[in-house]
Amino acid sequence: MTGALAVEDVALSFAGVTALDGVSFRVEPSTVHAVIGPNGAGKTSTFNVICGVYTPDRGGVTLGGNRLTGLPPHRIARLGIGRAFQNIALSGRQTVLENILLGRHVLTRAGVIASGLRLPAARREAREGRAKAAEIAELVGMAPLLDRPAGGLSYGDKKRLELARALAMEPSVLLLDEPVAGMNDEETARTAGVIRDVRDRTGVSVLLIEHDMSLVMDVSDRVTVLDFGRLVADGTPAEVRRHPEVLRAYLGGALGDDPGGEPGDTAGGEGRDHDHHQEDK
Amino acid sequence: MTKLIELLVNGVSLGMLYALISVGFVVVFRSTDVINFAQGSTLLGGGYVIARLSPHTGFWLAVLAGVAATAAFAMLVDRLLIRPLRQRGARHDVAAIVTIGLDVVLLTDLTRRIGSDMLHLGDPWGNAVVNVGPVTIAQTRVAAMLTALVLIGLFGLAFQRTGWGVAMRATAEDTEAAMLSGVRHNRVTLSAWAIAGALAAVASVFLTASPSPGMDAATGQTALKAFPAAVVGGLDSMTGALAGGVIMGLAESLASGYQEQLSFLGQGFGSVMPWVVMLLVLLVKPSGLFGTKAAARV
Amino acid sequence: MSRRVLAAAAAVVLAVVPFYADTSLLQMGLFVCAATIGAIGLNLLSGVAGQLSLGHAFFLAVGAYGYVALAGTDDRAGLGLPTWLAALLAPALAGLAGLAFSPISSRLRGLYLGVATLALVYIGQHVLYSATGLTGGYDGRPTPPLSLFGLKFGDDSGITVLNVPLGQYELLWYLGVALAVLAWWFARGVVAGRPGRGLQAVRDGEVPAAAMGVAVRRAKTSAFVLSSVYAGVAGVLYALIVGRVVPDSFGLTMSIDYLAMVVLGGMGVVGGSAVGAAIVTGLPLLLGRYVDALPLLAEPGSGGVDPSSFARYLYGALVIVLMIFEPDGLAAVARRVRALLPAPPAVRTSPSTSPHPRGGRP
Repeated sequence: MTGALAVEDVALSFAGVTALDGVSFRVEPSTVHAVIGPNGAGKTSTFNVICGVYTPDRGGVTLGGNRLTGLPPHRIARLGIGRAFQNIALSGRQTVLENILLGRHVLTRAGVIASGLRLPAARREAREGRAKAAEIAELVGMAPLLDRPAGGLSYGDKKRLELARALAMEPSVLLLDEPVAGMNDEETARTAGVIRDVRDRTGVSVLLIEHDMSLVMDVSDRVTVLDFGRLVADGTPAEVRRHPEVLRAYLGGALGDDPGGEPGDTAGGEGRDHDHHQEDK
Repeated sequence: MTKLIELLVNGVSLGMLYALISVGFVVVFRSTDVINFAQGSTLLGGGYVIARLSPHTGFWLAVLAGVAATAAFAMLVDRLLIRPLRQRGARHDVAAIVTIGLDVVLLTDLTRRIGSDMLHLGDPWGNAVVNVGPVTIAQTRVAAMLTALVLIGLFGLAFQRTGWGVAMRATAEDTEAAMLSGVRHNRVTLSAWAIAGALAAVASVFLTASPSPGMDAATGQTALKAFPAAVVGGLDSMTGALAGGVIMGLAESLASGYQEQLSFLGQGFGSVMPWVVMLLVLLVKPSGLFGTKAAARV
Repeated sequence: MSRRVLAAAAAVVLAVVPFYADTSLLQMGLFVCAATIGAIGLNLLSGVAGQLSLGHAFFLAVGAYGYVALAGTDDRAGLGLPTWLAALLAPALAGLAGLAFSPISSRLRGLYLGVATLALVYIGQHVLYSATGLTGGYDGRPTPPLSLFGLKFGDDSGITVLNVPLGQYELLWYLGVALAVLAWWFARGVVAGRPGRGLQAVRDGEVPAAAMGVAVRRAKTSAFVLSSVYAGVAGVLYALIVGRVVPDSFGLTMSIDYLAMVVLGGMGVVGGSAVGAAIVTGLPLLLGRYVDALPLLAEPGSGGVDPSSFARYLYGALVIVLMIFEPDGLAAVARRVRALLPAPPAVRTSPSTSPHPRGGRP
């Protein structure tokens, strides 16, 4: 157990435009913690600061008391931060299995020589990796798709593969950026189950960005609300639901209702990109 | 002292030519994110057309024809080869490799046509020189400098002042947003490629005029020295292309001029000087002196 | 036929080639072997890791000249090492050269790297022409023939099998084929293993790759070094085949040829590089051999299209067409063609594996 992930007074701006303004919250071990807010609220920027993609102008992120901010992204990953991307960031030419195995990069050691010469250690590691990957694929319901190229999967399957790959990192904090965007009800329910399962079984904490409010209210132990880069509310789902500022930010609020009418849903940039992609293939 | 001044003037003149070619790289890169590796052979093609026509039509008509030919050719390349890739959303290095394939075909053909000949483009300046006090400069160098200055100046004006320039800059900033606000992307890229092609033909005239012995099949490789100019300038900056070109011209001119003092670097070190300067700059600034490093988007 | 049978058949064919092929054919085959090794190396860098390089010729030159200088006993600078040791050290030297370039290469992205590597070719060639004491300048240096475990790779080897004397090219043939197969096998292991996945992740996106724990700069450096070592091996073999290394060979044209091999065979498809090498290296030699019998082609210098020009037109056009229509190269084209052909009988008789009912086919 590595301890809590703490975001402390993070401020970030791009060319004078403020993306985050003094954001602080704590993700306790073995909890699901959601970050919600309208598009442009700074949710994904928060993830990018945690992962070391962006360096904040002020403040920083610690994990179990150790400072993550300032380390290169791959070191942060090795310290136990696993991430599933909002925009699909898979290797499209690689199979589902190989994409999941990439998640195990942090847990494995084989180098160029060991792999090239197929040394016993590398072969053992590869065998173990395949078994683990198959287990994870089973967990997220992708076992029959293991040998399919990731580029040809449906959108929902790609999102599931993002989740599977992040799980394969065996992180202590799992960052999920809109994990159920574009999924149907059945897939969403399955993903919700996986999120709970991960929290209960392996004791990792999950930091979740999601527009699907029913999912958020359903699985989260704690919810942080951002708007225009500032923290609006932070509390249990019940507390947040009643918070006047939150209700205002959501304009009469679709909170807990059907997520379809919500402005930041998949009909936005993300979904459109995806459609382009499909036409291209 | 006289020698130094001559070297500096010649260096600036050569640098302006490199700038002319690298402006071609930059407009193409800004509008289509493609590095055109066939620029050298396009230049060779333009020079070839001019050299073959000028005995019959006279120099100026031949230059017009050469410019028209390379501009039209470059537009065809954009329309037939680059646009399909763009529409497919292919990675940028795919388009770059296509231009390398194009370069192979073009260069093979031109090399076969030129053979071991030394072609002359028939420019009116010949060996004439200009004397300013003790300093002697070839007329072609002066003409090169003036032509490059005028073309780059006109280009810069058009870029800043005209609707076309606005469309071009908008496209470079954010292609999708530009298209949403009514910029016809395909037209913008066609014009960018046409300009790059035309500039290459103009540059061929001065690269091969006296004191150069003329144009042979290797002239295209000389033109590739505009690459270091463009890269040092930052690939996406017009000012950078100009500055990069002049830096490279000066570096080459000085290294060649003081060859005896630099003899330990080997005969003809001047001609690789631009590449050396480029590596040194990249070592310090990986995105060039004037380049903007785009923030990573996730 | 199982893969094992196929592999055994291929091995037998390759083993008997020297007994039937004449010297020029053997030499052609050797050029293809050397090119295959070099192309696999470039494929690891440009195809697998997505780092466009036009500097491959430079690293071949380091391998070739490294071998010549390390083993050299002529009047130029040379260490006079045993040739087998020089042949081992020269690729290491190429790898070191790749490592030395990494402060630049690992920080640049895609197209910038492509231009930066151009500099290597031009500066490298300048050094080859200028450092005459080491390189022999314009005229180059002769390659010391290789001796391995007391076996001399020359026409005076003294080995005769089935009444066929095994001379320089016959012996080199076995070495070249063995090295090419080894290069392929090693690269397959790398690509299918953990490092290959990391490199492909870097190619598909540096930010996500880093988020998965891949040290991006280190991965790029290792790809560059590995690719340079492969180029070094190809360079040594090349030097042994041609017998004399000259600077002219290691220009931009060679770099572009290697890139073309990778593109033709398929970016990231290790085995495809052999096909690319055969087309780019073998085709012009083969056409040259039969130039008299081929219509449309002419002797070099006669004004018509000579074989090597013809081959360059062809593969230049192929590069363009493949990049536009099938970036996965000829390997993918072959797959498509196979998909169009009627399925083999074994599949047709088993309806469970066929998507169509048997009667549904014409």
